[in-house]
Amino acid sequence: MRINLVGFGVIGKGFAKTLIMKRDWLKARYGFEPSVVSISDITGTLVNPDGIDLSATLETVNRTGRIIDCPGATVMQSLDAIRGVDAELMVEVTPTNVKTGEPGLSHMLAAMDVGKHVVTSNKGPLALAYKKLRATAEKKGVQFKFESSAGGAMPLINLANEVLSGDEIISIKGILNGTTNFILTKMTKEGTDFETTLKEAQELGIAETDPSYDISGSDTASKLVILTNAILGREATYSDVSVQGITKITPEAIALAKEEGFVIKLIGEVEDGSLSVAPKLVPENHPLNVDGTLNVASFTTDLAGDVTIVGRGAGAIETNSAILSDILSIYRSGAGR
Amino acid sequence: MRIELDVELKDKPGQLVKALEPISRLGGNLISVIHLRETLTKRGRVPVHIIVSLENPETLETLLTELEANDIWVAKVDEVRRKKRFTILLIGHVVDTDIRDTIDRLNNISGVLVADMSLSMPHPEKETSALMDLEISNPDKLGAALDELDLIAREKKLTLVKSLEI
Repeated sequence: MRINLVGFGVIGKGFAKTLIMKRDWLKARYGFEPSVVSISDITGTLVNPDGIDLSATLETVNRTGRIIDCPGATVMQSLDAIRGVDAELMVEVTPTNVKTGEPGLSHMLAAMDVGKHVVTSNKGPLALAYKKLRATAEKKGVQFKFESSAGGAMPLINLANEVLSGDEIISIKGILNGTTNFILTKMTKEGTDFETTLKEAQELGIAETDPSYDISGSDTASKLVILTNAILGREATYSDVSVQGITKITPEAIALAKEEGFVIKLIGEVEDGSLSVAPKLVPENHPLNVDGTLNVASFTTDLAGDVTIVGRGAGAIETNSAILSDILSIYRSGAGR
Repeated sequence: MRIELDVELKDKPGQLVKALEPISRLGGNLISVIHLRETLTKRGRVPVHIIVSLENPETLETLLTELEANDIWVAKVDEVRRKKRFTILLIGHVVDTDIRDTIDRLNNISGVLVADMSLSMPHPEKETSALMDLEISNPDKLGAALDELDLIAREKKLTLVKSLEI
């Protein structure tokens, strides 16, 4: 299977590392030999129809930060690479944008248009234009998979749609953002205030320099929209979510809740058709009470009752566990060989 | 008359005695007490299953009132659920924005009662937190109580944190 890789930041480089790490295993286990034929970033594109040397590319980009610095790379733009470099599948891992969905949205539509399967971790386009993407994929007869976009390594969409395919999922609730969970956990354990704890999280590299996307609840809301659409078969968008972040939570409030046996967690929840993200009082002994940067999601189903899964919601290699499983699922379905 | 009670105690020493004392005082004969110390309820309380024989059935109401006055929550009587309790947290200038009014507005909804409240005031000028237990005897009124809470939080610029179950 030939792959166009679009985006070569943390996740894109993690994808290259994962393929190097798993090359022999994938061949032995599934007879699967993926070949990355193009890698694009904002500076240009590297093309090799026989398969790019991923180790050499990683070495250069780790040094300079740009694809254009790799020997043989040209200023070819990502959209031209998607349209012009033959491949069966595109992996789209450019930075997410929840306002416009770009450039990911154009990349995905272009790939589908030329008959390529799409695997992505990019939340923005999914939270804004899921309906259009789904419809385009169907019209063009390609597969569209995005397990890694919500919940990182936790196999939520596949769990619900494949493993629990005989169940009706009634509600979904969980902690879908590791940064806010880290901050709230730390405030609970150490009694520190929000601002101090946020700074500490930034120093540790857990929170971004601009943390607003996480702490405002927007990231959780995007993921909730993705899960709602993919699992409950809805056509929700970001604007359907009522969103409240964690910036107003004080250490005194956390201590007061603790006295009565509760912790405060940022919970994304879809129930009875309404989507919300808000800090909630969670009983200490409840399965959704997971600490640190961990994520957790719980499905309420008609047959299985509650099913809860805990895992890592972010990280270069963890996210690529889900990307690789999407690619393998397309490969094993017989498509893209 | 044999009665089965499911009560919930605060997770603190001395609570079980507080629950049993009114039973013996009112002439009840304890048949069994199962104290489920290891399994806290969703609300962090200790569930206790009590079977008691009451000579005079009319003392049941007195007993229930006394238990609740002692902060012993009676969840079920003979498997019939009595009241639902929910916890909410308000953060902000909770006291300065007329806390009496906040409580009255909730209590004015029939079937809704602010049953318990704890406050944390780190400093008069800093934000206060109030943890409230709402007792809902009429399940149809839960929506009305939550709507009123949302309205209060908006009007008084408070942050409302609801419990997971609502």
